[in-house]
Amino acid sequence: MSVSPRAASAPTLPRILGPIHPRPRWTEARLLGIVAVALIVGSLSLGMTLAHRFAPYDAGGLAIYLAALGGAHVAQVLAGRRSDQILLPAVGLLGGISLLLMQRLPQDLVTLKVGGSTIGLGDIQLAWLCLAIAVATTLGIVVRSDTWLRRYKYTWAAVGIALLLLTFVLGVDVGGQRLTLRIGPVSGQPSELLKVILVVFLAGYLSENRPLLIEQDTRLGPLRLPPLPYLAPMVAMWAIALGIVVVQRDLGAALLFYAVFLALLYAATGRLSLVLIGLVLFVLGSALMASLFDHVRARIDIWIDPFADPLGTGYQIVQSLHAFARGGLLGVGLGAGLPMVGGRLPIPEIHTDFPLAALGEELGLVGVIAILGVYLVVVERGLRIGASAADDFRSILATGLALVIGVQAVIIAAGDLKVLPLTGVTLPFISYGGSSLLANAVVVGLLLALSDKGVEPPPPPTAGGWRSRLRRRPR
Amino acid sequence: MDGFLAVIWIVRLLFLALLYLFLARVVRSLLRDLRAAAREPSSSLGRLIVLDSPSGEPPQGRSFDLDAITTLGRDVNNAIVIEDPFASAEHAVLTYRGQSWYVEDLGSTNGTYVNGGPVADLSPLGYGDEVAIGQVRLRLERARPA
Repeated sequence: MSVSPRAASAPTLPRILGPIHPRPRWTEARLLGIVAVALIVGSLSLGMTLAHRFAPYDAGGLAIYLAALGGAHVAQVLAGRRSDQILLPAVGLLGGISLLLMQRLPQDLVTLKVGGSTIGLGDIQLAWLCLAIAVATTLGIVVRSDTWLRRYKYTWAAVGIALLLLTFVLGVDVGGQRLTLRIGPVSGQPSELLKVILVVFLAGYLSENRPLLIEQDTRLGPLRLPPLPYLAPMVAMWAIALGIVVVQRDLGAALLFYAVFLALLYAATGRLSLVLIGLVLFVLGSALMASLFDHVRARIDIWIDPFADPLGTGYQIVQSLHAFARGGLLGVGLGAGLPMVGGRLPIPEIHTDFPLAALGEELGLVGVIAILGVYLVVVERGLRIGASAADDFRSILATGLALVIGVQAVIIAAGDLKVLPLTGVTLPFISYGGSSLLANAVVVGLLLALSDKGVEPPPPPTAGGWRSRLRRRPR
Repeated sequence: MDGFLAVIWIVRLLFLALLYLFLARVVRSLLRDLRAAAREPSSSLGRLIVLDSPSGEPPQGRSFDLDAITTLGRDVNNAIVIEDPFASAEHAVLTYRGQSWYVEDLGSTNGTYVNGGPVADLSPLGYGDEVAIGQVRLRLERARPA
């Protein structure tokens, strides 16, 4: 860190962090103000409906959450980074809606014993949200160089594949899907972290090999393709996605990984032929999976006609559609939806897979469109950060991180609405769950770091790599 | 109780309205950001930053906006004049071909180097790559890091 003249006038500050140059972030402050007011009004609406008092429903929890958001803002002001000012308020609004929803659902959906007392869904989610905000802010402030990501892309890929294999072998089956990895007391869903690692690896690989992928010296009928060895990662990616479907039975993660991969391939090369091949592979793979595996076919049957078995396999989807229908245009109001039917929740897994259905019922079409609009804003910021990045690696990385969030939101929202077959991915920033929140916090933290205009210039590329390979080929 | 119900309705609608107020404010700053980016002329396809230049011509730190064909060399007719004892009169040319930048050595005496490796004939160039001509080092960057 460079020593500046101002450092001399502030000798009392600890020098570990370097001199402090606060830089105001007015846009962020204003937007966070609106978020705070909106969340307080939402909590008020919840309190009036559920407790019949003119008071916020769980004022303590909301205050802690807003304080965490404020703390993140102050930390970024003090750090003086010129990073994006819209991401934090947008994500903060989604997290706040998540908090309101989790406080309002039956608290015994998830319980955790801490010491002598038991804490319920809302409090656990609050703890994860605060941790997620801390992770995102810390990454956004501390990460000043991306060398640790771009230099070690194959190491990251190896870590990702190891995580995947570990889940294949040691994973615990929950509800027919092998998603959860439990090592001692720690359990989590590696696929959430895997999506970040995938984007980092793809950014490294595609930015290094972009010139080669653009070349078109293999001809396959009317298609002009890059040299065949460089198509290997595409096939590998396809195989990994199929492996996830077969072993983990996780259609959502497979779909997410493959969609993000194809989108990044197109973003890096601009070649539609590659995407077409990818889509053909996707259709072939889907047909193969559907004909070979019952769990895939079952998902598709439910999707086509959930009303064939409305009390059995189609139950979730049918209830979700009813919830959206009850919500109508303006919704029934926060806290007024979801009556318990016969002592059980109308939609199983509402806190992880169907938060959008709950919000659709309570906030209506108008509210759901607003929430989807916030996701759109997050994606736009990511793409914008990518478009103005200094080099290919950062550009593809930011694009990929934005797409991971956007595509995941689309997959689960479309699943809830019976537009796509239902897959068990989480709704980013809103679903209950530590793995999901922390992985998405890492995404936001990296986007914040990448958006900083004062970040270190990209390191000079090393000689060799694709260039030495290219030179050996006759031209 | 009717009054209470009316208040609930107002609070509910207020919450939805605030969500849209947030979106409207965000969209306003997004539009401002995009307009600012659009106002800046970015007719060029990329920039070349001078990292190192012992002779001072081109000056160190200078950024050149690139045309689709940009010639480099010691001769004054080049788009980027490189005043270096090891540079040839017509040393190298940068071309933008459809999807990507390429650097071509024009048979110079001392060669053109990309990221420390010599350019045989024609070599693709990515954003962030370093080109060395004589003692002058240049880096290719995107047109506008807004």
